[in-house]
Amino acid sequence: MIAEKGVWRQLRTRLLFTGPTLFAFITVMIIPFFYGIYLTFTNWDGIATTQELVGFQNYGEVFRDTAFWQSFYLTLKYVLFSVLFINVVAFALAYVLTSGLKGQSLFRAGFFVPNLIGGIVLGFVWQFIFSNVLVYLGKQASIPIFSTSWLADPNKAFWTLVIVTVWQYAGYMMVIYVAGLMSVPKDIMEAASIDGASAWRKLRTMVLPLMIPSFIVCVFLSLQRTFMVYDLNISLTEGGPFASTKMVSMHVYEKAFLSRDYGVGQAEAFVLFLLVATITLIQVYFSKKMEVEA
Amino acid sequence: MKKFKGLHVLLLALAVMLVVSACGNNSAAPSNEGAASSNQTNASSGSEVKISLLNSKGEIQLQLEEAAKAFKEDYPNITLEILPTAAGQSPFERASALYAAGNPTTITMLDTGDVEKFKDRVLDLSGEKWMEDAVERSVDLTTFDGKNLAFPLAIEGYGFIYNKAVVDKAVGGSFDPNSIQTRDDLENLFKQIEASGVAPLIISPMDWSLGAHYLALAYAGQSEDTAEVAKFIEDLKAGQVDLGSNAVFNGLIDTFDVMMQYNIDKASPLAGTYERGPEVLGKGEVGIWFQGNWAWPQISSFDTADGQYGFLPIPISNNAEDFGNTQISSAVSKRLVIDKEKSTPEQQEAAKTFLNWMVYEEKGQDFLVNKANIIPAFSNITLEAQDPLAASIQDYISRGKTQDSMSTMPADHWSKVGASMQKYLAKAGDRATLVKEIEDYWKSVK
Repeated sequence: MIAEKGVWRQLRTRLLFTGPTLFAFITVMIIPFFYGIYLTFTNWDGIATTQELVGFQNYGEVFRDTAFWQSFYLTLKYVLFSVLFINVVAFALAYVLTSGLKGQSLFRAGFFVPNLIGGIVLGFVWQFIFSNVLVYLGKQASIPIFSTSWLADPNKAFWTLVIVTVWQYAGYMMVIYVAGLMSVPKDIMEAASIDGASAWRKLRTMVLPLMIPSFIVCVFLSLQRTFMVYDLNISLTEGGPFASTKMVSMHVYEKAFLSRDYGVGQAEAFVLFLLVATITLIQVYFSKKMEVEA
Repeated sequence: MKKFKGLHVLLLALAVMLVVSACGNNSAAPSNEGAASSNQTNASSGSEVKISLLNSKGEIQLQLEEAAKAFKEDYPNITLEILPTAAGQSPFERASALYAAGNPTTITMLDTGDVEKFKDRVLDLSGEKWMEDAVERSVDLTTFDGKNLAFPLAIEGYGFIYNKAVVDKAVGGSFDPNSIQTRDDLENLFKQIEASGVAPLIISPMDWSLGAHYLALAYAGQSEDTAEVAKFIEDLKAGQVDLGSNAVFNGLIDTFDVMMQYNIDKASPLAGTYERGPEVLGKGEVGIWFQGNWAWPQISSFDTADGQYGFLPIPISNNAEDFGNTQISSAVSKRLVIDKEKSTPEQQEAAKTFLNWMVYEEKGQDFLVNKANIIPAFSNITLEAQDPLAASIQDYISRGKTQDSMSTMPADHWSKVGASMQKYLAKAGDRATLVKEIEDYWKSVK
């Protein structure tokens, strides 16, 4: 009886504090998630008043949809290059901006700014730069590589996406790296200096291993954000030229809302969710093993 | 201690109430059911009816808002609210989202091909007075089981828009659009324009323009009989059409080859944007642009030809008699439907009143033709179009020189085949690739 009362009281206290959040979480995250999974088993088109259960037919469609796998492959390529360059650039910036440069706070703020601009606006700004500003400069100075718009060539359009993504996220990741660099204990660094270790030696065998937690966070964040890229994709290249830079999110969206194949689109979204979740979990699991203590 | 426990319970109850009532408010307030019931009581006491219209023709948003005010002057007890659709969002997307939220507008502006999807949810308009005055074939595509579900709002047409000042100079004298009836005539005109020191034409490389407008001419041009065209589409879906040997398709693409050759953006054909088209045409840097009459507001802001523009059809062969060589592609492109699911009978009546107002009353007609530059689909409206492009389309219509544009294509058609056309335009694929991609697309359509 007393124990029972205790359980009730405990639950009541918990509900008091977590209840509202839990309620919001369930209604806006959990229920739509499962309702979405339910929709993958129907042939709903997004508007009809009726829908039929079609079993696993939509999942079959997903595996037959070559355009989906092509765009997934393209996204993998984009994620690989973006994550690599974002983190290399961000770490380099952070390293330079913690070395006691004059006006380094100003630089930190400056590099962070692109992250405050939304993806859509950013896409339009860069679209103007790539198809007007650079072309104009290229023609004036007769630099052949800039004299035609990069957005009109499938290969170069892909790189514009990578460049803009790196520019957007490098500043954000830099902030995390700056925090990581500042938390490297001063005493061991001093000890290393007394022992005559070079800057490169200190970076490679002391700073980098101690920064593993920062790397985990940054790689995870950049992985997840670049996998789900949509806003930049639609405003910078619109998937063009001729659908050659259509990332997987855009493909899924168009499947559901443009081709009005809601069930298949939703099934593709779910498959994508599983793939991305697997990749990021693997990344976190393996990089956790690399963590060391000072 | 006991008191404290009481407080505990009270707090919890408060928290729960807060959450529940907040959500209750959120879901009830914007829903029409709440608003509808209050409207009902209002209407029965003989006052205000509130209706709403979802506008998917962004360029007439302001004019529609003005029209709502003018309508209110004539019918003081009806308030019409205009909701815009975000640029780039399809009307279908927005309308279906509003329905999913249980909050549809009373009147929704849809593209022709989307009306059928809404047929369980919208009112039968067959008994309306304007049905008798609607121009021929204008409601065929929205009639299901003998019931017409939609109001034809605007006729739109497209083709080659020419800048008269530029072509006059090129041909040396006043240019007669009827002189261009074959592909050779067209190429000749391109040469003349080029010789006068101006680029002949600009091809805007948007997928919707190339896919939904240019390529669609290959379907519409198959026959004067719309039933034949519909059968051609069915055959395409069944994979029974050999496009590579289809005369109309090849003729159209041959014309496209000529266009590509004289394109101002030949060096980088995919770099252009829509905005570049009206600018170079209006400023007279090119003589011709492939686009439709909706482009007038943009062209007029760059106009250097004193408002002298007109349309040329796209010739697909060297025989002037062939269908399509002298006909301009046009069709009713926007339709209004009235919701019957969430709207009260009073709201439905008010919506019908608004439709009649546009067709039969002076202010309504003035809005359609003079303010919104719409080409109305009703024969009783005799007002002359103010803008030269609409006037040019109206002229082709009055002479019976029209070809019905394809307006019930699958929803992703423009995007998919538009990409194939872009590939062809950029010379990243040859004609065989184009044919194969179009055929494959049609086979994938369910």
